[in-house]
Amino acid sequence: MTSYRERARGCLLGLAAGDALGAPAENLRPAEIRRRWGRLTEIEGGGTDDTEYAIFAASLLGRHGHGLTPELVARAYRDEIIPRVDGPMRGAGFSELGTVEALRRGLEPPLTGLVHSHGWSDGLAMRAAPYGIFCPGDPAEAARLVEQDGLVSGSGEGILGGRAVAGAVAAAMTGAGPEDVVDAALAVIPGDSWTARNVRRARAALDDAAPDEIEAALHEAVVVRHYPWTDLAPEAVALALAAFLAGDGEVEAAVTFGVSLGRDADTIGAIAGAVSGARQGESGVPARWAARIGPVTGKCLPVVAGRHVLDTADELAGLLTGEPAKGR
Amino acid sequence: MSGDRIRGAVAGLAVGDAAGWPASRHRAALHAPWSRRLHRELDAFAEEHRVTTLPVPFALNQPTAPLAVGPSDDAEWLAWTLLTADRPRTAAFRELIGKDLRARVSVRTALDNLDRGVEPPASGHDNPHHFDDAAAVRAVAFGVLGRDPSDDAQVTNAGDGVLGARAMAAAVTTAVASGDVTRAVAAALDLLPEGTAIGHNARLALSAAERAGEAFAAVPALDAALLDHVYSYGVGAAQTVPAALALAAASGGDLTRAVPAAACLAALADSAPALTGALTGACGGFEAIPEGWTASARTLAGCCLPDLAGQDLMELTKGLV
Repeated sequence: MTSYRERARGCLLGLAAGDALGAPAENLRPAEIRRRWGRLTEIEGGGTDDTEYAIFAASLLGRHGHGLTPELVARAYRDEIIPRVDGPMRGAGFSELGTVEALRRGLEPPLTGLVHSHGWSDGLAMRAAPYGIFCPGDPAEAARLVEQDGLVSGSGEGILGGRAVAGAVAAAMTGAGPEDVVDAALAVIPGDSWTARNVRRARAALDDAAPDEIEAALHEAVVVRHYPWTDLAPEAVALALAAFLAGDGEVEAAVTFGVSLGRDADTIGAIAGAVSGARQGESGVPARWAARIGPVTGKCLPVVAGRHVLDTADELAGLLTGEPAKGR
Repeated sequence: MSGDRIRGAVAGLAVGDAAGWPASRHRAALHAPWSRRLHRELDAFAEEHRVTTLPVPFALNQPTAPLAVGPSDDAEWLAWTLLTADRPRTAAFRELIGKDLRARVSVRTALDNLDRGVEPPASGHDNPHHFDDAAAVRAVAFGVLGRDPSDDAQVTNAGDGVLGARAMAAAVTTAVASGDVTRAVAAALDLLPEGTAIGHNARLALSAAERAGEAFAAVPALDAALLDHVYSYGVGAAQTVPAALALAAASGGDLTRAVPAAACLAALADSAPALTGALTGACGGFEAIPEGWTASARTLAGCCLPDLAGQDLMELTKGLV
């Protein structure tokens, strides 16, 4: 029986590894990724905003647990993010920086997530895993909690993307099978949504395409062709869950397939890694990847500089078991 | 009298469209691709050499007429809407699939969606720019016809994009009927819930413009109230429709004061002047628009919908007057 602690560690290590592995492939076409790396399997550098925002989200759960509200999240932005935005805050997405501007104007959630144009950003989906860790076996509660965070910085499909990933991780925390995990994600979002339509289309593409045409079929199924930014939650979440299925719920297979798809490859890798890592536990994350994951630098979110995902995972697990976090 | 205001709404949109700086960029699409490549290279040159002399669209060895003051994307999409208004909207859009055209992100994505079997309202909803003002521009046609623009709007848009279309149509219908800008703005506001970005911004913009006193004076306040300057496209309905309502109100419905002010909002200058021109043109009527502007703005260039090159926009209002 894999413990919650092992699954939490697997989830956040998988997230950090997928983020780091996918970072150099972001916005590249699958053919260009193949040309450069063949299959991209080795982490070259550090992670990005996905890992740092996930650590920040986990800290919100540590402080507020099931009582988290959008007002508390907005206060955390005001106290811990905004004062350092003028410093070394790089690599944050449109949705977070649009939210920062909205908060500076004195707006409160949900308007803070509505007034900018990137409500559908995958910025919530990329940091949704801790909410799933915190609610093992309870996808509905994981989805409700991540929405509290999402109402500050996103809207519409961006919130649904976060709900789907949190729901998937919550199911994966019980070791559920890959198809059941994706069903759990679909169960916490409306069937009549862009995200649900994309997940269903991606699933059908996996079933129908010949093995050497799967990447192209997935792109055809969900990728928006005439838009320069790739951080669309309905697209990234569908591609990540497809990668999770294509890899049969195993970290290395899911993540390497996910980053081969290009687009928002770091976030696709992070989500695929988080869901499969929660399912398999820490032992499912390749040791050579785990060895490359160190404390985050705070290059996107200075407030989390120096934090390690394994410490964050232990703290989340401690909230579930009542045990204090052990050393790394 | 309402006929003059119908013509005013249509001509006003084209005049506003022509007045914004992006019109010359759109119209440059009529030239050979190499002219736009040279434009990009000159931009890079200016960056590298730190010269502040920005390149402008040009026409070396090509006809210069497309780069004269004139209408561009929004006037063409309004004309297309007037020409197809009696057709079922999905069928009308379907005919555009695969055609050589230029359109906003919302419209291009909606055509892709229709092509892969995603029908309205999902075609407008599963769309990264569901919030843009493509439908609000087309809604001017439904406004002068006194019809609900929703079926048209949800082919390409959702959320604030559809609300913006409903607000524009209602404001134009009311302005055509009454000539009263206050009533027109109130009719739009009635359809914009306070809890939405467009509803919030519309009220913010109207009070900012009222404090400023008149349209040109309101420009910096509207820039501060509506624009976060984080995102790279300025055609969000939650920004352009509130700007148009606020400037129409602040000008007392006077196109010659409202449109130049809208054109000063650089980030919104692609469509806010056009929407402002439609509202104020409907209030004051065709005859109140300076003749030089209507003469320059009424003949379409075909820079987005090539089939419409040479079309006289005002011809399309004849059956309506």
